Amino acid sequence: MLRRKPIYSILLYGAVICLVMYLIAPFLWLIIMSFSAANDLTQKPLRWIPSRIDISSYKDLLTMGINSRGELFVNALRNSLTTAFTAVLISLFATVPAAWVLSRYPGKKSWVLTAAIFTFMLPPVAYALPLYRMLTRLGWLNNSFSLALVYCTIVLPFCVWLIKENIDSIPYELEESAILDGAGVAKRILLVVMPLLLPALGTVALLAMIMAWDEYFYALLFTSSKEAITLPVVIANLASGRQSNYNLIAAGGVIASTPPVLIGILFQRALIRGLVQGGVKE
Amino acid sequence: MILVMGAVIGWPLIQTFVLSLTDTQLMDVSAPSFVGFENFIKGLGNQGFLDALKVSGLFALVVVSSEMILGTGVALLLNEPFRGRNLVRALLILPWAVPTTVNAIMWRLIYNPEYGALNSLLFQLGFLDSYISWLGSADKALWSVMFADVWKNFSLVAMIALASLQTLPDSQIEAAKIDGAGAWQRFRYITLPHLIPSLQVALVLRIIEAVKVFDIIYVMTKGGPANKTRSASIFVYQEAFTNSRMGSGAAYAIIMVSLIMILIAFYIRGLSRREK
Repeated sequence: MLRRKPIYSILLYGAVICLVMYLIAPFLWLIIMSFSAANDLTQKPLRWIPSRIDISSYKDLLTMGINSRGELFVNALRNSLTTAFTAVLISLFATVPAAWVLSRYPGKKSWVLTAAIFTFMLPPVAYALPLYRMLTRLGWLNNSFSLALVYCTIVLPFCVWLIKENIDSIPYELEESAILDGAGVAKRILLVVMPLLLPALGTVALLAMIMAWDEYFYALLFTSSKEAITLPVVIANLASGRQSNYNLIAAGGVIASTPPVLIGILFQRALIRGLVQGGVKE
Repeated sequence: MILVMGAVIGWPLIQTFVLSLTDTQLMDVSAPSFVGFENFIKGLGNQGFLDALKVSGLFALVVVSSEMILGTGVALLLNEPFRGRNLVRALLILPWAVPTTVNAIMWRLIYNPEYGALNSLLFQLGFLDSYISWLGSADKALWSVMFADVWKNFSLVAMIALASLQTLPDSQIEAAKIDGAGAWQRFRYITLPHLIPSLQVALVLRIIEAVKVFDIIYVMTKGGPANKTRSASIFVYQEAFTNSRMGSGAAYAIIMVSLIMILIAFYIRGLSRREK
């Protein structure tokens, strides 16, 4: 351990304590609100510690009843999962061959990568209008699968970008020896490149999952009822109503945060490596 | 393959452009007619849209610079040895992992004018004489939303900066210490140059996100009060879907995209100049 001046230690630990409070206080309060009784949250001055632990808000959101809040919420939870999984699966299937081509045959096709990064940068409002008209004409509005397809426009460029970086770091000699053994393109990708890519694919899948889970704009436009509506939309609607069931809103927020926060804590190292890698290379 | 990608990327943009030249309505009640550049001329003279562009610009400027400074500071702090460092580092991912809409409703609850935690806390500590309507007053709403956005997104900057700091060899810092460099000099001439490439990446990622901001503002204020928090993305959304004027909404979208393209062009030029 380093020897330090005491004044330095005091400042350091003071700063750390401030940081920890800043990091956890808002979310901790959300959790406390979700376990409070509704009338504990509408008192002045505010009751910081709930008078009793009340789980009725969770019960309310997770119990299915015909046309109840719970039915909508549980459906939204399921739709969010379906949409995110579908979008990530489609993206991963398309990513590997696309990234492989971009990595192994650079040159002329480098503008495709630029274009992919470009799409990633443009605001969704630029795409929303034609997409909306197209989905309306096809009768595909309010459908989890078409929403997942739309999400691919966000997720896919990101995945291709990151996976290409990873394929770049796989030595081409490995594939050359496979070619000598008479392996075709498909075999080279499946048997040589894929096994080495698996960790990166896992990371990308998790990041893509969090992105899709988080998406609000397209979901707001393209979904409207329990068949396809996603969690972010339901939560935003819960909060924008005139109702004062603050514990209910908070419980919805805690439930929606659980999957990404768990993924974040469990796979922290891999995720940060992915985030850094996705950006650092220019 | 190239054709497919070109079509996927280019076709919607072309369609948006075609739309912008018509007076198409959301529900095709009447056959749309071609109106030329009328939407663009109207759009560029629309005070509401200019205000919305200003909101997006101010939002991006304030939020991104705060996140960069706070993120770098936190990364430097978490690079110092102290007890419980790994735990605090693990906590850093929490704000980033909380979904944007949840972040928005969380802060809406905290900012609640009557029963919100912020008012209650400041009042009980004696900083406030009376409760404030954080999201309801024209001069505070945008700043309150910005604060909420910084909470979520500074952690991304901090994580990227921290990852970069961990690759800085201690020997360099030690060598500088032996040469008699003070803390500021060590930061200025060793740590900062080492950090800059990753900070640039974080900066670009954050600017891209911030200029097209929609969800956090929309969930917190819907663009109000008195349109004081209406960003460009929210403006386009309202024009096309709430007012169901698709044609002119598309024109606004094209103007916005052009502005962002200029931003990207500047960025690419900056990069290539640096490489020379």
